[in-house]
Order: sequence, then structure tokens, then C-alpha cells
Amino acid sequence: MLNKAITDLLTKMADDELILGHRNSEWTGLGPVMEEDIAFSSMAQDKIGHSWALFRILEELPEGRPADLNAFCRPEAAFKCCHLVEYPNSGYDFSLMRHFLFDQAEAVRYESLQESSFEPLQQLSKKVKGELKYHTLHANAWILQLSKAGEESYDRMQTALNEIMALAAGIFEPARDYEQALIDEKVYPGEKELYNRWLDRIYPVLVKASLNLPDLNAIAPAYGGRTGQHTPYLGPLLKEMGEVFNLDTAANW
Amino acid sequence: MYGGGYIFEEPNNRQVREEMLHDEPEKLAAFEERIARGEKIEPGDWMPAEYRRQLIRLIEQHAHSEIIGALPEGTWITRAPGFKRKLALIAKVQDEIGHGQLLYNAAETLGKTREAMINDLLSGKSKYSNVFNYPAKTWADVTVIGFLIDAAAIVNQVANSKGSYGPYCRALERICYEESFHLKQGHDAFIELATGTPAQKEMLQDALNRWWKPIMHFFGPPDKASLHSEKLMQWKVKMASNDDMRNQFLDMYVPKIWELGLTLPDPLLRKNPETGRWEYSDPDWDEFFRVINGGGPCNEERLQVRKWAEEHGRWVRKALMKPAEKHSLPVA
Amino acid sequence: MSLDPRVNRLKLGDPNAVIKVEEGENWNVYEVFHQEKRGAHHEHVGCVHAPDPQLALIFAKEQFARRKKCVNLWVVKSADILAFDVEDEDMFANNLEKTYRDASGFKVMEKINKFKQSSKGTTDVK
Ligand SMILES: [Fe+2]
Ligand SMILES: [Fe+2]
Ligand SMILES: [Fe+2]
Repeated sequence: MLNKAITDLLTKMADDELILGHRNSEWTGLGPVMEEDIAFSSMAQDKIGHSWALFRILEELPEGRPADLNAFCRPEAAFKCCHLVEYPNSGYDFSLMRHFLFDQAEAVRYESLQESSFEPLQQLSKKVKGELKYHTLHANAWILQLSKAGEESYDRMQTALNEIMALAAGIFEPARDYEQALIDEKVYPGEKELYNRWLDRIYPVLVKASLNLPDLNAIAPAYGGRTGQHTPYLGPLLKEMGEVFNLDTAANW
Repeated sequence: MYGGGYIFEEPNNRQVREEMLHDEPEKLAAFEERIARGEKIEPGDWMPAEYRRQLIRLIEQHAHSEIIGALPEGTWITRAPGFKRKLALIAKVQDEIGHGQLLYNAAETLGKTREAMINDLLSGKSKYSNVFNYPAKTWADVTVIGFLIDAAAIVNQVANSKGSYGPYCRALERICYEESFHLKQGHDAFIELATGTPAQKEMLQDALNRWWKPIMHFFGPPDKASLHSEKLMQWKVKMASNDDMRNQFLDMYVPKIWELGLTLPDPLLRKNPETGRWEYSDPDWDEFFRVINGGGPCNEERLQVRKWAEEHGRWVRKALMKPAEKHSLPVA
Repeated sequence: MSLDPRVNRLKLGDPNAVIKVEEGENWNVYEVFHQEKRGAHHEHVGCVHAPDPQLALIFAKEQFARRKKCVNLWVVKSADILAFDVEDEDMFANNLEKTYRDASGFKVMEKINKFKQSSKGTTDVK
């Protein structure tokens, strides 16, 4: 039971990081200014790197598959990423706001894992601490600056926040069958707790940016990803990501 | 990555302008003595207007080549097979943007702003390395680019890093360090295909066949056909002749291709044991000039994509612009 | 159709459209200084374009410290750097001749040896 629960937790984290890292890496070479292009690309690489580390932990578990196979040729329904990460990059406003909301969630999650009873996650959380600090520093700076840089830019930030909030709340979809076991065994504090810590983290930044947090009671979190129900965007993404790898999954690339 | 040996000339400006060499003869003499002693020229130094003009053009084209060069390989960013290749490719393309950043800064020290250089790229006034006007059709193309185009670029950039202009040399020092990673990861992926399944091998051979001509074009036309200036050599702006660099490249890399059992699509390609120089078929210089002038398979798309990026990033840049602030160029 | 699936998602504009970047749109220039380890000097490594010092530092971190060992960075607006004119290089020309500032300018051992030589025989050591 606990093994299954841990596999579920690791898989959803790994899938989130892989898919968002993949999406964000699409900006490499196409960003608004070279310096930001470089910074954003590094953070996309970090995410894919975190995902790789998580898949390698999975690989070591009983019935674990090799990381590359797990990531590059698993059926869509077996993916457990949230809907937020699946959406295509519509514009830099969307990507920045998603980056801010996701990375704050990621930071809160990994911080909690520093006390995890599951040793490999505890170690990973310590290793990625510095990277996440940079990611949230970068995200906060951009959200604050663009929200204070005139009407057009403020409107873009507020619109993006309105669009993304329900998707971002979907990060914290509880694992129905496993949640309590993971909490009881002190693997992690549970999605509900992380959600509250995340709100505490983003709220002051949004206030400082004069952005209005959408009414949380009025939004329906975009759940479903954790149980394999995805947006229409995930299927094509996976097909594209695995295009070369799946020419011959037994070959070395 | 990619200086390319060939500095594109504006058509009516092919010669070093004589009159530039005669202004302030004493300063010119001191300037040339400094270069002859092996000292570097720094941004605030007196320099002949022609030296400045040629350097801006050289560094600017090099910078454009880096950010345009990010596009053919970028074609496979979302499809790189497996974690390691995926990360290495993103990191490599990111480095190329970083090279562009370093080089635009170096060019800016000579007085032309980054914005002006970008505008000249977008309008087609300023060129970039021809090799990036070709498509990356399969994954194998990425390995050929990463291995061989980066290798060629290193030959050129190592030569240029011994040039006379301080900021350009310093940028190239950092760039060459990163290129060694590009070459290594490219070679590794190349070997993986060459030693892989028959289908992988075939994919690689096909890519190699398609890229051979642009690779032969990379260092520019033969010395006898190019109007290369002795002045540029004396001023250490141009550091090696096109043919010498091409020969050096062939010497270093053809054996590395052949040792993997691959072939090159040129029956005449061989090293002449007597002269020690490589011989090869005419690589179709007409095509080279046709592609420079916009007739390549990807010229239009490359600029269209750059235009898209500039246009869609504009709101971000404009939002944080500070027109009242005193602007300056990089100091070194 | 592009071969790049990313590009196919971009909705490219008219290839003949004139796109121009305004002067100042790439912001201002900041010089970057890199400290490789604690106790070491910060060394100039290049510059970044940024709208303010905070983003300059954020950009500098990835452009100048994503590979190399680094423990800290400084950024300073290029416009705020004061330097000598290169023509004023001659002000530094005589530095090496002013040996009264240098340990090598004082021949202590020579004097001691000379003293020892000259005093030999005149002073008896008991
Ligand atoms: Fe992150
Ligand atoms: Fe490069
Ligand atoms: Fe390169």
C-alpha cells in the first residue's frame, strides 16, 4: 500500500516537472530578450532535471521501469500531471504567471519534503533547494515588475492570473486512495496543507503587485490530471516528445 | 557557435577604403605598432574608422549567427530522445543564445547598439552564417550540426580569439570553452547513431550527405576568389585564410567520420600526401552565393521566426523601458 | 509548414513585415563581477542588459554563473563606472622605477655583509 502511494506521489511530481519543463523549454531561443531567454531556459532544464531525478527514484522501487522508458513511452492515461502544465504557451504573460504559481507550489512541496520519512525524497528536496530559491526569486521579480509597469502590462498579468488560478489550484488535487497513508506515514503533509501554505506564499506577492486574487470559493480547481484524465493538449505533446525515442525504444540514442 | 570564416561584404564596399588609412598617420602608426607587438586594442583606444567598421561587421554577423543558429537545432528541442539528450540539447541551444549575448555586447563597445544590430538582422541588411539557412530534417541532423558545424566553428573561433580586439577576444575565450561541450555532446550523439541500429546508421549517413555541402561552404569561398584584405590580416581582424581553416577542419574531422565507417559524398575528397593539403570537388559556390542572397531553403523562415520573437517580446521590453535613464554602452 | 513543431505553434507573421526594435528597448547595460570563491576578489566577466539592478543580478546569475564555480555576483550600471582615458596610460608609466616603494629597493643583506666584512678583526669576540 505505502509503496503504491509513494509511487503515485513520485509519478505525479515527476510528470508535472517533465511536462512543464518541456513546455518552458520551447521558449529557448524565442524569449523576449536574450538574458531572460537564458534564465528561463535554465529553469526549464532544472525542472526536467528534477523530473529525471524522480524517475530514477521510481526506477529503484520494486517494479520500477527505466527512467527514459517511463517518461518517453508511457500511455497518456498513465500520466498523472495536472492540467496546468499541459497547456501550450500562449504568450510570455501566460508562461510567466504559470511559472510563478507552479514554482511557488514546487518550492512549498519540496520544503515540506525536507522532513519526509521517505529518504530519497528527503535527499532530493535538499539538493534542489537552491535552484528553487532562484526560480521563485526570478518569478517574484517578474510578477512584481510587470504588474507595476503600466496599464497594458498590469492587465496582462491580471488576465493571466484570472485564467490560470483554477488550473493552478488543480496542482493540489488530493490522491484519493493514498493521501491519508502518505500523511500518516509522514511522507509528506498532504495536498490540502500544501495548498494552504502555497496561498500564504503567493498572497503577499500578489498584494505587493496590486493583483487581485480571484475568489477562491468561486473557482473550481482543475482536477482530473492525477487520475489520468487530461486536457486535449497532453496527447499531442507526448507524441511529439517521444517521436524520436519511439522510432526504436530498444535502441540507444 | 558559429563565426564562419566568411565576413559578408556589402556589395559596394568590398575594399578597405583607402582614405581611412590616411587620416591621422601618427596615430595610425602607433595603432599598428601596438597590434604588431601583440597588444590588444580596447574600446576607448583610437582606432581607424575602417578597423571599427570591419570589426562591428564581423562581430555583429557572428552574434547573429549564434541566435539564428539556435533555430535549426531548436527544431528538435521538443523531440530529443531521452533525458540526457533532451537536457544537453536545451543547454546547448541556450549556450548559443548566451554566445549571441556576449558577442552583441562586444560589438556594442564599438558604438553600435544592440537594437541597431537586431534591426539590421531583421531587415536583411546584416547577414549571418549561411549554414543556418539549411533545414534540420531528422534527429541525425542535430548530431551532425552539434559535432561538425560546432567543430568548424571552433576552428574559426579559436583563430579569431587571437585577434587584436580585446572585448571580442574575451568573449571568444568564454565561447570556446562552451564550444568544447557542444562538440563533445554532438560527437557523442553522432557516435551513438553511427554505432547503432542499421536504421540509425542510415539516418546519420543521410544527414551527413545533406550537410556536407553547407559544411564545405562554412569557411567561405576559396582564397583566390575572395577579395580578402591584407589590411584585415595585418590588423588581426581576420586571423586565418578560408582555405587554411577549411584544410585544418578537414584534417581534424574527416578521419573521425571515416573511422566510424561513414562515407562523405565527394569521390575526390582525399589528403594529398605530397602537399599535405586536402583536395575536394568544387562544392558549388554558385549555390553558396544564391543562399546568401536569400535563395536558401530556410532563409525566410529564420528571419520570420526572429521577427516573431522580437514582436511578441516587445510588450515585455517596453513595459520595463526607462527612457529617462542615462543609457550607456558596455565599458569593456 | 515548418519542420519545427514549436514554430508551427507560433503563428508567424508576414515575412515582408517590417519589424523594428526601438532604441532603449533592450534596456540599460550593467557590468557583472563574479566571485569564484569566498575570499577571492570579484572579477569583471561581462555585462547584461536589464531594466534595473534586481533583474540585472537575476540575469547575471544564469548568464555568468550557470557553469562556472561562483559564490557571489555584483552588478553595477555601466554608466556609473569611472575609468581613466586609455590615453592616460602614461600616468602609470614610471611606477616600476620608484623602487623606494618596493622591498627590492632596499639592500639590507648587502649592508649587513659589508658591515661583517669590515668589522672582522677589529672587534674581538671573547
Ligand atoms: Fe522551478
Ligand atoms: Fe556558439
Ligand atoms: Fe556551439
